[in-house]
Amino acid sequence: MKVPVRVTVNGRKHELLADTRMVLVDLLREELKLTGTHIGCGTGSCGACTVILNGQTVKSCCILAADVDEQSITTIEGLSTGAHELHPIQEAFVANQGLQCGYCTPGMVLSALQLLTDNPNPTEDEIRHGISGNLCRCTGYVLIIKSILEAVKAMQAKRAA
Amino acid sequence: MITKEYAFHAPRTVEEAFGFLERYGDDAKVLAGGMSLVPMMTLGLVQPEAIISLNHLLNLDYIREDAGSICIGAMTRHHAVVSDPAIRRHCPLLAEAARYIGDVQVQHRGTIGGSLAHADPAADYPPVMLVLGAQFRLQSKKGERVVKAADFFQGLLQTALEPGELLTEIRIPKPAHKAGTAYLRLHRVEGNFAIVNAAALIENDFKGARLGLAGIGPKAILLDVSEHVAKGLTEAALRGIAADVSAASSEAFRDLNGGADYKRAMARVYAQRAVQTAAAHMQ
Repeated sequence: MKVPVRVTVNGRKHELLADTRMVLVDLLREELKLTGTHIGCGTGSCGACTVILNGQTVKSCCILAADVDEQSITTIEGLSTGAHELHPIQEAFVANQGLQCGYCTPGMVLSALQLLTDNPNPTEDEIRHGISGNLCRCTGYVLIIKSILEAVKAMQAKRAA
Repeated sequence: MITKEYAFHAPRTVEEAFGFLERYGDDAKVLAGGMSLVPMMTLGLVQPEAIISLNHLLNLDYIREDAGSICIGAMTRHHAVVSDPAIRRHCPLLAEAARYIGDVQVQHRGTIGGSLAHADPAADYPPVMLVLGAQFRLQSKKGERVVKAADFFQGLLQTALEPGELLTEIRIPKPAHKAGTAYLRLHRVEGNFAIVNAAALIENDFKGARLGLAGIGPKAILLDVSEHVAKGLTEAALRGIAADVSAASSEAFRDLNGGADYKRAMARVYAQRAVQTAAAHMQ
């Protein structure tokens, strides 16, 4: 059974037809070819599927595509305008080796963005809590946290400028 | 991926929702935040004929305060419960417990009503609802009724909700007496369901004390421990509380978290710690 899904993704409006069984992450990856959002566990634990829905991070494997009709979504692709124009958080991850395989990274960056939007100067504990919905199997989180601490500075500088 | 086909409906009003509930009966599942339901569908554990999403209702996401209570719409997301100033002022225990639910992403989407209606045996809200004397408004096409938290949680994933009924509002009475409260939970991994959890409330004059516990059976339970704390939090008081917890833990069951004896032992520890922490929170 298909239902209409009118959704804005990264600022662009789309009118799609989605199977009622489709979850949002599959809509983004398969229908819109936005493959930056990843599927890890598929059941809401790992956060690799994190996107921003109406301004808040959510796990897109746990949301039915049909349910985002008339909503607005930002994926990792919406954070930068090109490979050489990265968001300050992405720059911080690159500069501080906040990734190894990169699979958790899109979700991790979006969670970092949510954290720094809500709390521009978090403590390390607040960072740990803010990314607790994103699992990483490679890094042990140390350099992810360092990247986010560096991103704090970069974003403060950007705001001051 | 979800393999079984189903119809999807997104009513704009509760009346429309009741219409769908009546039409489908047990064949439909109500979708709120989906943080439990969608993974269950992905795993094939739940295969409804229809999904009735409440995410497009215009008026069930609110937190209001009146003279005597805090009223929370069932579609209020956990995130709002954690941060709302009225909740933090009048029933901080609720915000404290909600903070443990899942993680940031889950808290943005998951709802208080959905969580309560799902009634996971180790969920964070039920013990708090029991201790605070919360009341739940259940509505259907036929009318509405109010059910006390103590009567709402009936069994493993079972509540007082009848077919055709929706939980639409949670009312938390503003406390009559000054009290210290605390919520503690045992978990191996932050964000996972608790192994056991405990919510405690002690009135400032030690005249009343209540304990809500989860993880020691199919549903959360409420214990009145007033008589134990009447002379203060002595060793004897704590032993008495532990004995009450043991007596109430006969339905503890083995699961992936551990055996029944382990859960009962942890429940005794967390009950005592919650009561001590609540006493420390008295103002």
